[in-house]
Amino acid sequence: MSSKQETQFGREIVRMENISKKFGTITALEDVDFKVHAGEVRALLGDNGAGKSTLIKILMGVYQPSRGTIFFEGKPVQINSPSEARALGIEAVYQDLALINLMSISRNFFLGREMTKKIGTVRWLDMHGMNEQCRHSLHDIGIEIRSPDERVGSLSGGERQSIAIGRGVHFGAKMLILDEPTSALSVAETRKVLHYIVNARERGLAVIFITHNVNHVYQVADSYTIIRHGKLVGSYSKGELSQDDIADLITGDRIC
Amino acid sequence: MDKKMTWQTKVKHLYAQSAIAGPLTILILVLLVFSAFIPNFFTLRSFSGIINAATLTGVVTIGITMLMITGEFDLSVGALVAMGAYIYGMNANAGRPELGALLAVLIPGLMGAFNGFIRILTNIPSFIVTLGSRSIFRGLVWVVSGGALLQTVEKLPIYNFFNGRMDIINQFLEGANFRTSLIWLVGIILVCQFVLTRTQFGNHTFAVGGNPGAALAQGVNVKRVKVINFILSGALAGFTGVLLFSQYTTVRVASGDGMELSAIASAVVGGTLLTGGYGSIWGALIGVLTISVLRTGVVLLNIPFIPADNFEAVVGVTIILAVILNNWLRGRA
Repeated sequence: MSSKQETQFGREIVRMENISKKFGTITALEDVDFKVHAGEVRALLGDNGAGKSTLIKILMGVYQPSRGTIFFEGKPVQINSPSEARALGIEAVYQDLALINLMSISRNFFLGREMTKKIGTVRWLDMHGMNEQCRHSLHDIGIEIRSPDERVGSLSGGERQSIAIGRGVHFGAKMLILDEPTSALSVAETRKVLHYIVNARERGLAVIFITHNVNHVYQVADSYTIIRHGKLVGSYSKGELSQDDIADLITGDRIC
Repeated sequence: MDKKMTWQTKVKHLYAQSAIAGPLTILILVLLVFSAFIPNFFTLRSFSGIINAATLTGVVTIGITMLMITGEFDLSVGALVAMGAYIYGMNANAGRPELGALLAVLIPGLMGAFNGFIRILTNIPSFIVTLGSRSIFRGLVWVVSGGALLQTVEKLPIYNFFNGRMDIINQFLEGANFRTSLIWLVGIILVCQFVLTRTQFGNHTFAVGGNPGAALAQGVNVKRVKVINFILSGALAGFTGVLLFSQYTTVRVASGDGMELSAIASAVVGGTLLTGGYGSIWGALIGVLTISVLRTGVVLLNIPFIPADNFEAVVGVTIILAVILNNWLRGRA
C-alpha cells in the first residue's frame, strides 16, 4: 500500500463531507460527514428513517446529494449511477438487491462481467470457465458450494450473503456495503457471515455495515457512525462507547 | 430401498432444475390420452397437421417468451402479424417480394421498439402499454390496407421459399405434409435458444426479469435489454406475417387477431413464468405443440358437449391445469 497510513487502518477509501439531501421540502440528510478506511469495518447506525439508506444510496450513485462532496481515495468524485459506483470499486451486498434467485450461483457471480469466448463476431458464454472460476474463488475465501449450477433461490440467507461478499472480493472491490446482512439469519449463519466480513477486512477492504441494532455489529465493528433524524450524532472508535451508550445515541435517549 | 430413494431424488431434482421437464410431461400425457382414444391419431398425417398448425403461432411465441422472461408483455403482436403480412403482400404484388419481406420484419420491429420506449420512458406496465398499442397498430393496418382484403396476383416462387410444401421430404413419408415454415421455426428456435442460454445478452435477459434492481446494481443496462426484447417480439410477429401470407396468399385486417393470447398461453403452458426471470425456448415450442395437439384432438374426438368450434374453452382449462401442474412439479423439490 503506497498511500499514507491513517490511525490504525489503511488509506482512506471514502470521505463524504457536508452531505445534504432534500426530497422536495423534506430534508433527509443535513451536513453529514462520513468516512471509511481500507481494512476498517465501520458500522453505520441509526433508527428506521434516520437517513442511513439515503446516505448509502448517494454513495451508490442512486441519488445525487443536494450539497456536499464525496472523495474516493482522496479525489473528489461524482457518482451518477450504480455502475459508476461499481467501476470505482464499491460493491453493494444488499439483501434483496444482490443476487437473482432464479439464476445459478455462477451466473450470478459473473453477472455483468461474464467470461466469453469468441470466434469471429460470434461471442458466447464460457460456462465451463465461469463455473470453475466461481467455485475456485469462493473456495479461496473459505466458502464451499455444492455446485455452481445450483439456483441461488435454493440457498440459505447466509449462503447468499457469503456469495455476494465473495463476488465483491473476487472482483477486487475496495469497499463492501452490507445492509442489515445478519438481521434475518440464525445464530450459526450470522457467525459465518461475520467471519466472511472479517476475512474481507483482513484482505484490506473497507466495509460499511448498516444496521439499526448495535448487537448485530458490535462483534466486528472497528468504528461507529450514528445518525438520527438526518443529522450526524457522531463518529466513534471501538471502545469509546459501550453497547448501551450506542443504543441510547441511536434512539436519542441520551445527548452526547 | 436406498437405490430407489436416489432415483426419486434424481427425478425431483430434474423437475426442479429443468425448465422443460414439466411441460414435456404434460405434452406426452396429452399425446398418450388422445392416441389411446382416437383411432389414426398416432399417424404422420395428423402429426404433420398438428405441427403445421403450430408453426405460425410458434414463431410469435418465441418472441413473446423472451419478452416474458424479461418480465414484460406484448399484446400487440397479433396486429403486427397482420401488418407484416400486408407489407409483404403489397410489395410482392408490386413485384418486389424480397424488399417486402425485409420491410415486413423491420417495420414491426420498429413498432416493437415503440412499445419498448413507451414502457421504459413512462414506466406504465407493458400490459397497459401494449393493450393500447394493440388497437393503435390494428388501426394502422386499416390505414395501410384501406380496410381491404389483400390477395396475391400471381404465385411467386418466394412463397415456397418461406412457406411451401416440402414435397422432397413428403414423398418419402406416407401421409406427411410438412411445410418449409417448419425449417424457419426450427432455425429461429436454435438461434434464440443459443442467444438466451449461451450469450451475455441472454444472461442479462434472465437477470432483468428475475430481479431488475439486482441486475441494475451489477451494471446491467436494464432498459436496453427490455427494448431489444420488445423489438425482437415485434420483428418475429412481422416475420410470422410473411409466413402467413406465403401460405394462404391472402390477408385481411383482422388476420392474426387472438394470436397474442395463444402465444402467451403457449409460453405459459411451456413453463415460462408470467412474473419473469424464468422460462425456455424449448418450453415455448412444447407449449405451442401441446395446444395444437389439443386443438386437433378435440376436433377428432367429436365430443358432443365440446364442439370443435369451442376448443378455446379446452385451451382455457389446459392453461390453468398446466400452470398448476408446472408449479407443483417445480415446487416439490
